[in-house]
Amino acid sequence: MTARGLGGPAGAILAAAALAAALVLPSVAGTYYIRVVTGIFMFGMLASGWNIVGGYTGYPDFGAAAFIGIGAYTTGILMLRVHLPFAAALPAGGILSIAAAVAMGSVLLRLRGHYFAVATLGFMIVLQQLASNLDVTGGGSGMNLPPVRSFTTFYYWMLAGLIVAVAVGFVLPRSRVGYAIAAIRENQDAAQVLGVAPLPFKIFAYAASAFFFGIGGGIYAYWFTFIDPPTVFNIDFTIQAVVMTIFGGPGTALGPLAGAVILKSLDVVLTNISIFLHNVFFGALVCLLVIFAPRGLAEIFQARGGLIEAIRTELRENRI
Amino acid sequence: MSAAAQIALQNAINGLLIGGTYATVAVGFSLVWGILNVINIAHGALVMLGAYVTYWLFTLYHIDPLLSLPLTGALLFALGYPLQRIVINQVVRASFFITFLLTFGLELLITNLALAAWTADIRSVTTSYSGWSVALGPIALPVVRVVSLLIALLTAAALQLVMTRTRLGGAIRATASDQEAARLMGIPIAHVYALTFGIAAATAGIAGSLISLSFPIFPSMGAGYTLVAFVTCVLGGLGSVPGALLGGLLLGLLQTYAASWLGPNFDNIIAFSVLILVLLVRPAGLLGRAQRFRG
Repeated sequence: MTARGLGGPAGAILAAAALAAALVLPSVAGTYYIRVVTGIFMFGMLASGWNIVGGYTGYPDFGAAAFIGIGAYTTGILMLRVHLPFAAALPAGGILSIAAAVAMGSVLLRLRGHYFAVATLGFMIVLQQLASNLDVTGGGSGMNLPPVRSFTTFYYWMLAGLIVAVAVGFVLPRSRVGYAIAAIRENQDAAQVLGVAPLPFKIFAYAASAFFFGIGGGIYAYWFTFIDPPTVFNIDFTIQAVVMTIFGGPGTALGPLAGAVILKSLDVVLTNISIFLHNVFFGALVCLLVIFAPRGLAEIFQARGGLIEAIRTELRENRI
Repeated sequence: MSAAAQIALQNAINGLLIGGTYATVAVGFSLVWGILNVINIAHGALVMLGAYVTYWLFTLYHIDPLLSLPLTGALLFALGYPLQRIVINQVVRASFFITFLLTFGLELLITNLALAAWTADIRSVTTSYSGWSVALGPIALPVVRVVSLLIALLTAAALQLVMTRTRLGGAIRATASDQEAARLMGIPIAHVYALTFGIAAATAGIAGSLISLSFPIFPSMGAGYTLVAFVTCVLGGLGSVPGALLGGLLLGLLQTYAASWLGPNFDNIIAFSVLILVLLVRPAGLLGRAQRFRG
């Protein structure tokens, strides 16, 4: 599942085949499946985006949905009040997310661990309440975007976003910035002693991650046509992205995508079985995954001695 | 007394009254965070369960919420102990992401089971004394909330006594400061962890009972109280009972004044802005780690 495992010509052929299948799917599948796969693409993009800050940098951003909201509202406001076309409004949402991440990141990224998590969560809640109080956002009653006839539009937008997000996951660890980020994750103080100033690199990772959430939020807003503060500034987006990243393997290029594909498909199946209980199943699933596979798929597939031995080791190491 | 002074005073009273409940919500969360190093996202769900226990005892058996308090606490302890012992202890030494996710999964599980069992209907506990209010000069004192504050103070005092004066408290503090050393001294760590979580669950249940007296009850109510616990803990400092009390009262005052001056929809903006400021200036909270469990 890692970049290394899928490198070489076999990986390239596999990637090309997957891409071809993704491009052709809307012409052969029904509306329902197009919608389901669009959702998988969206969470694949979000998880890959979260992986940049959470996986590669090791900063637990639990307020990532703040940028879903920023992207959704920027896109919505520009389309509805300024009458910009979607293709122009969407990048604006991404750019504003980057700007917000740079501004907030330069303050919040001085905190570590739990405290960073709590502060980012607080940031999201402040934005949520702000959106319910402003006039331009439509306040608590939300905002209706112009509807679109074809769902394939969103499918291709999400696919494009996903491809860029996964590409960043491949390129980043092999770049100068990636080495600095890895050094900061492993030991920030040591990195600093060696002349790596942590803050700019952390801000870079935070902003890159925010960009994908902003874009995801913008497409989501146009896709669902109605947004209000609790649906877009929703911690559920963050948590799902985190669960998928950790399940698939944080700090790997394809792990978050694998996590999104598997968990989102499972969630769709569970919803079909019981729309009433699917969250109960999902909750139980998260608990089981966390206990039996806390380091995700990637580590278990690479473990020596097979799956059972890997699970046993995990249990021995983490319990008291 | 001028009208402005009267409003300011009434706000102070209201803020302290709600702050007492916040402290009760936060004290267990703070204990689990400070001692087990687990951010318990499911804490609010335990508060919700406490509120429902109170509601059903009152509705089905006509047991007064104030009388059922010890029972609610005991029931939640009976749920919390095995939850930690059997489930959370499995991953308690893993990274903070992992325990965060596990308790998130538990929250999802508990909340949605409650939703399946009791539907999303909003319920409330209305006792014969629910509407009572005592006039103290120009100030109105709602009886239920005054009683809630008193119980909150009693709970905090009792917990502080347990932490500072009993063998159990000593074991918990020893485990928190050095797990390995505590183990070598013969302290059963897994049991102590489970007891700590059980106590936290019991206080969450009591908080839920108090909340049911003044606020609506519904399955997803917990998330808001988890956030309250977050802010309160960070304001007051982790793992400290007096810290949780101070943080709760401060948060109550902040929200009440913010709502009064800026409008009811600004309470969270103010609360979380202050939270971020406190984090930046004094990340260990106002009463900090150094003073945990001292008076």
